[in-house]
Amino acid sequence: MKKEVPLIITFISGFLLIVALFIPHEPFGSLQERFNDWYIIVSGFTLILGVDSLLLYHWRKIKTKDKDAPYSIILIITFITVLLWGIYSGVKHGNPFAPASTFLRYFYTYMFVPLQATMFALLAFFIASAAYRAFRARGLNATLLLVSAGLVMLGRVPKGEIVVPFFIAITLILIAIIFVLEAVARVSLYERLLYFALALISLIAIIPLSILLREYLPALADWIMNVPQLGAKRGLFIGIWLGAIAMAIRIILGIERTYLK
Amino acid sequence: MVEVIFIWIAAGLTLAIFSFLYKDNPFYKVAEHIYVGSAAAFWFLYLWFFDVEPKILGPFKEVFHKYGFSGMWAHFGAEQWILFIPIFLSICMLLRFIPPTAWLSRWAIAFTVGMAAGLGVTGALQGYIIPQTQATLLPLWTGNPLTSFNNLIIVIATLATLFYFFFSKEHKGVLGVFSRIGITFIMIAFGASFGYTVMARVSLLIGRIHFLLFEWLSSFFH
Repeated sequence: MKKEVPLIITFISGFLLIVALFIPHEPFGSLQERFNDWYIIVSGFTLILGVDSLLLYHWRKIKTKDKDAPYSIILIITFITVLLWGIYSGVKHGNPFAPASTFLRYFYTYMFVPLQATMFALLAFFIASAAYRAFRARGLNATLLLVSAGLVMLGRVPKGEIVVPFFIAITLILIAIIFVLEAVARVSLYERLLYFALALISLIAIIPLSILLREYLPALADWIMNVPQLGAKRGLFIGIWLGAIAMAIRIILGIERTYLK
Repeated sequence: MVEVIFIWIAAGLTLAIFSFLYKDNPFYKVAEHIYVGSAAAFWFLYLWFFDVEPKILGPFKEVFHKYGFSGMWAHFGAEQWILFIPIFLSICMLLRFIPPTAWLSRWAIAFTVGMAAGLGVTGALQGYIIPQTQATLLPLWTGNPLTSFNNLIIVIATLATLFYFFFSKEHKGVLGVFSRIGITFIMIAFGASFGYTVMARVSLLIGRIHFLLFEWLSSFFH
């Protein structure tokens, strides 16, 4: 009973949605929309579990007089204040998210948005520092990652074309160094000459490439985003969704039951 | 005046979060806890006013206002009765708080998991696999050499990326060459996506600095 009923519920809800895709007539036709609404309602209630867990965690910290208890007090007070403010605005304007409500005008604009935007803006620094550590031109693939990231970033920055000559020079010098190192590591004279020639070509290409990219950098960044990036992303997402379908079928058929543990 | 007070609050919170760039400190921790507390309350209110209120209470409101609590039951239509299924499942979800009946929450979880799985199949087919495959089946010769070249790159990149994740056969010979082309395109895509993400974050940073310089500092002169 405790395991069979959930398995039946999973099967019926999942299977009916798939059937509704192939039978666009009543009662199946409107089923997807109705089930979607139910899904939003029921899954929305998981938020209550989350809020309960958050508040209990901080309440325990306050009770045990943890060293971070003052912050937990701030969190609980903020939660209650914002909740009461929202309810007050909801009662007054019908909805706290109405344009005229003080909740939207003051709390959302001057507290929630700045906090959220600054938290994400902070990531700009950490991404940059992570990139500094991770983006080393160790091989061809790593160099491609570095170059495409650099070109997209510079192509999207106003006046990015001013930095381009330096960027190109540094990149091509790095590539030339990689080729020289490869040449030194090779035994055959033919391969050594080939790699030295490639290193030389990289160095010679600095000036013409700098001039070209200075002119066409934004267009090149757009091309990278719209052609190779798009193609690879499509391949990745088709693969991911094929995997998701396989997993979903396993769940619907009750082969995958880890969610019941 | 109220506006200016809130601009100061926003500036204080912004600076408190940026103070983390120096090191973890009490100002950052206060702002962080305010953010978590207010976000929890915000999404709680959002759930109530955009899910519970219109989707659950809404259909009952009209009947309740017309016939009162005792009379409304006789006037419920299919629209109202059918809503008792998600209401029951939502209550089941909350029964997790009561240990002897906690196992009933599995019914609600099973429903959401089944729905997510069903939507996963239909959504993946309708939203991704079929449209993306259709969009990839491009003409390799359009009359314009540049467009033809771009189309060719898109087709090769998509197929090569798919082949890179094909593990049923060892990556040797033609498959090996194709999967190597695949990883090359994947690296370009990851690099480009990274660059794009960084720029999105930087634009947020510019937004915050713009706020501090042009809204907060200008409030000194008002």
